[in-house]
Amino acid sequence: MSTGAIQEPIFELDEVQKVYHMGEVSVPALRGASLAVMPGEFLVILGPSGSGKSTLLNIVGGLDAPTGGRVRFKNQDMTAFTEAQRTQYRRNNIGFVFQFYNLMPNLTALENVELSTEISKRPMDPLEALRLVHLEERKDHFPSQLSGGEQQRVAIARAVAKQPEILLCDEPTGALDISTGKVVLQALGAINERVGTTLIIITHNVSIGEMANRVVRMMDGHVRDIHVNESPKSADELDW
Amino acid sequence: MGVLHRKLYRTMLKSWGQSLAVVAVVLCGIASYICVYSAYLNLMLTRDTYYSDYRLADFEILVERAPETALFKVEEIDGVRQARGRIVQDVNVDVEGVDEPRIGRMISMPSTHEPVLNDIVLLAGRYFDGSAQDEVIMSERFAEENHLTVGDRIQVSVDNKKYSLRIVGLGLSPEYVYMIRNVQSLFPSPERFGIIWVPQDFAETALDMRAACNSILGSVDNPDQLDAILDQADKLLDTYGVFARTKKSEQISNRFLSDEIRGLGVSARIIPTLFLGIAALILLILLNRMVRTERTQIGLMKAYGYSNLTVALHYIEYALLLSVLGCIGGFFLGQWMSFQMIQLYVDMYQFPSLQARIYPYVLTRSMGSALVFGVLGAVAAAIQAANIHPAESMRPESPKIAHKVWLEHWPFAWRQLSFTWKMILRNISRNKFRAGLNVFGVSISTALLIMGFFSQDAMDFGLKFQFEEVQREDVKLSFPTEHDIETLYDVARFDHIRRAEPLLEYPFEVRSAWRTKDIVVIGMPREAELQKIMNFKKEMVDVGATGLVMSDHLADELQVGVGSTVTLKPLMGRVTKEKEVTVRRVSQQFLGTSAFMNIDALSRVLDEPFAMNAALLRIDEGSGAAINRQFKDVAGISAVSFSKDAYNGLVESLGKSMAIMNTILLIFAGVISFSIIYNVTTVALSERQRELASLRVLGLSTTEVGRILYHENTSLGVVGIVCGIPLGMGICRILVEAYSNDLYRLPYHIERRTFVISILLTLFFVLLANFAVRRKIQRLDLVEVLKERE
Repeated sequence: MSTGAIQEPIFELDEVQKVYHMGEVSVPALRGASLAVMPGEFLVILGPSGSGKSTLLNIVGGLDAPTGGRVRFKNQDMTAFTEAQRTQYRRNNIGFVFQFYNLMPNLTALENVELSTEISKRPMDPLEALRLVHLEERKDHFPSQLSGGEQQRVAIARAVAKQPEILLCDEPTGALDISTGKVVLQALGAINERVGTTLIIITHNVSIGEMANRVVRMMDGHVRDIHVNESPKSADELDW
Repeated sequence: MGVLHRKLYRTMLKSWGQSLAVVAVVLCGIASYICVYSAYLNLMLTRDTYYSDYRLADFEILVERAPETALFKVEEIDGVRQARGRIVQDVNVDVEGVDEPRIGRMISMPSTHEPVLNDIVLLAGRYFDGSAQDEVIMSERFAEENHLTVGDRIQVSVDNKKYSLRIVGLGLSPEYVYMIRNVQSLFPSPERFGIIWVPQDFAETALDMRAACNSILGSVDNPDQLDAILDQADKLLDTYGVFARTKKSEQISNRFLSDEIRGLGVSARIIPTLFLGIAALILLILLNRMVRTERTQIGLMKAYGYSNLTVALHYIEYALLLSVLGCIGGFFLGQWMSFQMIQLYVDMYQFPSLQARIYPYVLTRSMGSALVFGVLGAVAAAIQAANIHPAESMRPESPKIAHKVWLEHWPFAWRQLSFTWKMILRNISRNKFRAGLNVFGVSISTALLIMGFFSQDAMDFGLKFQFEEVQREDVKLSFPTEHDIETLYDVARFDHIRRAEPLLEYPFEVRSAWRTKDIVVIGMPREAELQKIMNFKKEMVDVGATGLVMSDHLADELQVGVGSTVTLKPLMGRVTKEKEVTVRRVSQQFLGTSAFMNIDALSRVLDEPFAMNAALLRIDEGSGAAINRQFKDVAGISAVSFSKDAYNGLVESLGKSMAIMNTILLIFAGVISFSIIYNVTTVALSERQRELASLRVLGLSTTEVGRILYHENTSLGVVGIVCGIPLGMGICRILVEAYSNDLYRLPYHIERRTFVISILLTLFFVLLANFAVRRKIQRLDLVEVLKERE
């Protein structure tokens, strides 16, 4: 989806700062990062460890609050959100996918997906969500009976099933080999395309950037540059 | 190993709540062990040194009247080391300003102090001066309760003659550590009954027993020969009318004291074992969880080359460390409690001084058992840790075979459930072990609380049962000898008496095969209303026309049942003929160990047409003082006792000491209950941190996540409580068996209130633990938890 100039951004980050206080030491993770994210956009955030990309994602996802600057989500000022508001925000707008899939070990694939449809306002049919990631046949398997790639796809189905506006992925392929990683990225790309979900992926992996509409590079808690990708590739075209 | 130690130390600090819970339970276990076991040893030591220092006799033979020469015959029996003749007689003691008669047991002592058998300990004043005839040494508590002291005078009626005697000293005797008049009285009433020691000459003169005695004391070289010696003595003394022969082991005061000591010994075994067992259980839960969550770390340590043994020992060390901490706390608390407990015995028993020693071997033994239980709790986890394969540990645990929740097979019902409940049911059914531990923990908590309240319930019930249902009289008149029915009519003619019933209380040796037991048989009319036989369900038991109704405790000891024949051998008076009677019924009895019989049938056992030696009275309300005045100077009445006084006395002595013990037990039960619940709840939480964080990320609020855990814990808690009730009842049954003795038998009675309070308290603990869990959920660092590898 192209970035139309008249469209309102879904996210606006303005000079966002985050300082972690660990005992007597203060560790700045974000030192004034600014970024606008458009609806339906596929954004990849690249950066080395410690560049602040995970912190950024957590703030956008409502897992964490900034210590300075402003974050806007569709005209709402998220900076002032209370813990309860952040919870509501996560529930209604955000889908998360982590490097380690964080599935409930004692729930089957389908039940894991149901976990998010149960609490959502306008959920997808959980089976439909599994179908999106091509796992409907494995719906009654427990996480430990699935491969890593399959587990990650269940996690994606779980995140997607509540039809969030934004899907946030923190190193979704970080624990996977090339071919499984591609299958996972394919699933993510398809969702971005077919459902129109805004997709933000953070990764070390430069080649994933080739799939995105825009690539954001982070360094030392700042956004270093933003690169617009005129012709995004599909997942199977990627070179790892 | 240095690093491992640091890891251990930090783990302990991190899970301080759970570690503290283990320490608290170990502490309770050790404290109760040290308290009770030290009290046991101290009391035993006190008893034994007292007995040997003041030469408690090995036997006593009561005769009607034996000349001094008879004494030499006894002394000549092979194996008898020493013998002493004395005069013993219960007399009325008049204390100025007191209406009620006081009973003094007059015991003759040599005019000058000699190291005799059953010697006295002088606590104040002096011994007889050797010439004066009007001197008396009084038992300390008796004097104290009647506000008498050295130099005061008392009036004593002996054989209808009054003597004025001057108190020259206050003393104690090993023969009357537990100061009761006879088996029937069961509990001391120090103001009404005590000992007055008089010079031999005075007793001989007053009772007209020149150069004679009615009590022969003896000591033997070898206690095993006691029976044979007594048989010989019996024959030698036959012509002097032997009333009773008592071995040291049957001597009343000693019997009660030894029963108490035995009870302490039982307590020292049961309760600490229970507590330490629970500590082991909590450790088991805690360490298992720890090994599971540290699986990867363990694998890593092994990959680096730490041996299985080192890893296993690491977890055992953790358990040992907590045990040691609990022990140290337990040492101090237990020792302090032990000294407090000894103080309680000062009220019940009369010792010249109570030993309050610290026993190093009790400390080492308790330390030893705490460590053993600690290792027991840790061993499973240690083995588990040792079995972890380094390569495998890096991957998630192998799949558990899981099934649908049974309810899922009924889709209609399943769909009715809310999301929360679906989660809970799945959690429970797929983690049966964890759920099981939770249920088990809660049920032990409930059971412990029930046990804690039970002893007080049983005591209260027993006392009420005894004084409201069994002994319904207001006043009991005792006569020193047997009378015929005319006496009852005479008594009934006095003022203020609304009802009078005869009673015959007679000591017998009951025998079945080789089993014997000295008891009191109580003869009562069939239509008696002032005394009832009743079981603990408050069902009346008919005394019948013939045959014996005995307590289940006695039936057990004699190994007899309904229909068995037992032999009764009178232990008093001239009648020595044995009679056989059938056991009619077996009932229950709270206080004492006695048997009941129709008064007519019992009279026939004694070869009398009718005999009574006590009367039970119901009197006009508020006429107590008048009754006392009326009977005070009536010859032939040895005691007027008011049931209300006896009840109050009991509540005062037994009730007070029991209440303190029960409170301590209850506090311990509470601490342990909470520790278990806190641990099973929080352990479950730490196992599931990742799950909960995932839920939070999905958009569930802390309250919603909390609700899942909370509902799960509460419903498991309810199941636990339901299971805990029968468990608690079972423990109480064991206690009933363990604590029964000749003095009293704990009735198996649990108030409804106890169940309600125990259930509510357990629920409260579950809620409190949930509250702690809630705080942990709130503090859960979502980002950190989810970043970690599984």
